Amino acid sequence: MLFRVDPTSTVPLGDQIAASVRRAVAEGAVVPGERLPAARVLADSLGVNVHTVLRGYQQLREEGLIELRRGRGAVVTGGASPHRARLLERVREVVADARELGMTEDELLTLVRTALDNP
Amino acid sequence: MKRKNLGRATLVALPFLLALVTDLVLLAVFRDRLPGQLASHFRADGRADGYVGQVWHAVANALLFAVTGALWTLTVVRGKFYGWAYRWLVAGGYAFAGFLGWVMAAVLLANVDAGENAQGEAQGVSFPMWQLAVALGVAVLAGGLGMVLAALGPVPKQPAATGRAGEGARIALADGEVAGWARSAGSWWLPLIALALVAGGVVLLFVSGWAAAIPLLLLGVLLAAFARPYVVVDRRGITISGMLPWPRLRVPLDRIEAATSRDINPLAEYGGWGYRIRPGRSGVMIRSGEGIVATLAGGRDFAVTVDDSATGAALLNTLIDQRRAEH
Repeated sequence: MLFRVDPTSTVPLGDQIAASVRRAVAEGAVVPGERLPAARVLADSLGVNVHTVLRGYQQLREEGLIELRRGRGAVVTGGASPHRARLLERVREVVADARELGMTEDELLTLVRTALDNP
Repeated sequence: MKRKNLGRATLVALPFLLALVTDLVLLAVFRDRLPGQLASHFRADGRADGYVGQVWHAVANALLFAVTGALWTLTVVRGKFYGWAYRWLVAGGYAFAGFLGWVMAAVLLANVDAGENAQGEAQGVSFPMWQLAVALGVAVLAGGLGMVLAALGPVPKQPAATGRAGEGARIALADGEVAGWARSAGSWWLPLIALALVAGGVVLLFVSGWAAAIPLLLLGVLLAAFARPYVVVDRRGITISGMLPWPRLRVPLDRIEAATSRDINPLAEYGGWGYRIRPGRSGVMIRSGEGIVATLAGGRDFAVTVDDSATGAALLNTLIDQRRAEH
């Protein structure tokens, strides 16, 4: 999968790495069961800190896109479909837009809940 | 095109066929003067320590020349070797067949008129090591002949469209953006082979001692380190790494002129699987199918079989453009 990071961007590098994996899953370039590169390997490749890579991987784990297993490394989960990856991308866009509008966390969550209650 | 291929196949199969026919003719002519069990394996001092029946000798030789000859022919016809690489390949086949053919014939001749013991094993047969030096000389001569014969026929030329600089897709990168492409290239059989080699080494350790076991164990451990290979393309070039930081294989970006993604036939183009070196090319063959083929400075190719190779090749070409723009 293609990883791209822009050190001059305001987006944290870990987020950029997570976004690369999300995009690869969304485009279908990566399917469930695929191993992500070891954090050390990817850090060397992109010239970033190992902890930065691990922060990105942690984010993907919380989103349910990858599993982190001792010894096996990071593996794309069975539930990681292109559809789900695109949804995750959109969720992040929504959050970014809300922040830009100066919305508080509660206001955004209320909006989401309203949408959930009135399908 | 078909006719050209037939000519090339004949050219490359000829020395293997000649070597086999020579061996079989010698066997037929001297049948009554050869012992029942031919001396077939020799120690460093030239004395025999292994024997084989006449029929098995013929069968083993037929298999040996048929299999190696068929592989060499497949490589020449389907292996996409062009120009000098093609000539070296044909010459290599002639040298190989010449060497083996000479050794086999010399062994048979050494057995002629040998006495037999109670088991029918040849007695007093010796095969001094200088015979190997003679065989090497024959190999050089045969190789030279192959080189000349290959040049006499039409030498296949590189199709102009493959792997030229400036062609193929690129990946749009912003200023200052750093990109890397990484993909696991493993296969289910890699760890199994590594395990089998190590197990075989351990068995040999107990059966026949250190000397035989160490090469097998070393090979097994090396393969185990690469049991889950990862291919990385980035500003440093192409890196193929295993589970540990070392050993790894790297082709620096500076040496790469262009890259392309295409289907690779490992048996025909690289003579098999694993880390392969052939005239004008080298590569890591893990399976058949798509892979990245990089053209290096000096015209050599480096290839690795890996999924989604189109993206990897596109990034390589992008990075090469960047490097050129900087200079």
